[in-house]
Amino acid sequence: MAEKYDVIVVGAGPAGLTAAIYASRARLKTLVLDESVPGGQVKTTHKVSNYPGFPEDVKGTDLAKAFSAQAERFGAKVRRAVEITKHDLSGPVKRFELDEEEEVEAPAVIVATGAKPRDLGVAGESRFKGRGISYCATCDGAYFEGKDIHVVGGGNSAVEESLFLTQFARSVTIIHQFDHFQAEAAIAEEALHHPKIKVIWDSEPREFLGEKGLDKLKIENVKTKEVTELATDGVFVFIGYVPRADLVKGLLPLNPWGYVETQEDMSTQVPGLYVAGDLRQKKFRQITTAVADGTIAALAAQKYVKDHKPVAAR
Amino acid sequence: MSQHVKEITGAEYEREVAQAAGPVVLDFFSTECPPCEALAPKYEAVAEQFAGKATFLKIFRQGNRDLASKLGVTGSPTLVFFKNGQEVGERLGGEDIKRTAIKAQVEAMLG
Repeated sequence: MAEKYDVIVVGAGPAGLTAAIYASRARLKTLVLDESVPGGQVKTTHKVSNYPGFPEDVKGTDLAKAFSAQAERFGAKVRRAVEITKHDLSGPVKRFELDEEEEVEAPAVIVATGAKPRDLGVAGESRFKGRGISYCATCDGAYFEGKDIHVVGGGNSAVEESLFLTQFARSVTIIHQFDHFQAEAAIAEEALHHPKIKVIWDSEPREFLGEKGLDKLKIENVKTKEVTELATDGVFVFIGYVPRADLVKGLLPLNPWGYVETQEDMSTQVPGLYVAGDLRQKKFRQITTAVADGTIAALAAQKYVKDHKPVAAR
Repeated sequence: MSQHVKEITGAEYEREVAQAAGPVVLDFFSTECPPCEALAPKYEAVAEQFAGKATFLKIFRQGNRDLASKLGVTGSPTLVFFKNGQEVGERLGGEDIKRTAIKAQVEAMLG
């Protein structure tokens, strides 16, 4: 027998956990599923400086834990490290099989699976993943104590994490495809003045080379077309994210970039199915916008569940 | 605490991994590593499932740098698979290690 919930939220990032806070406070029986530990992308962000309520920086991992603890305080069940092995979200009762052994179901589902770090997609990348190429500075920074490393990217993540990596590395060289950072001015300036940070502008990686582990990185200057080989001890890649749409692929239309279009209340063309957070088609993807999406999705789902409950159960 | 996953040190690698007969899985983990925390319960569950058929070990990267660099491991978590002391299959790493992917690699080693 499947265990019954009012709302099942998939993805325990800021959007999903906010949805869970609102849903559980509305006394809906709420389950949150995540294949990792709670926090989404926030948990591997070394510090967050633009989330309101924290006049000092907050560590991403602490913010992630706080979101989760708050949802659990109101009764939401947050399941960690759980794998969805089957799912059917098309009907009035939406079902999931978990870890090939359990079943759960609910009339309303909020998909907040977010996005994951984008691969560069250049030669040698998959070969050297975990052998010199990393996507998580908090996880792997300490491997590069005293080393000379490179960071690819120029947005907030790339610049913030470069600053973090200077704690360990002897030097951090940022490789960016444009001639200026896309990151917020405050941290961009800090990076430009940091004694351990150097920037190579207008350049993109073309190939990763090495014998057993990564030794060299080949880059091309996109303006001059000049190709250079750089010796490196490690490369961190922060070039944005790709949506995790696996759960709704084939059920909901995706835009050309793989994001899901929703109504203003986060509803989709499938009744009872909502999409919130970075997975949604929208212009700005921030923790604050994810939190807003989660709120709206939960309020909409709450109304949907109330309207669709069998009369006897009301 | 973990019942089916044994923690080793770099000094025990020779005996526990290189000279071991049969399949061995070795997990390099770090502190301040949420993906490592996420992997732990999945790894434990797979270890329980294959108890007696394959050996599941973990090693703390920060305390065992030499072994990590000898094997060229630069990220946590990283799962390395061995059969009769030889590395086989693909390493699994990062946040997206699925329980089913670990199972598939262990089944392939038992093949």
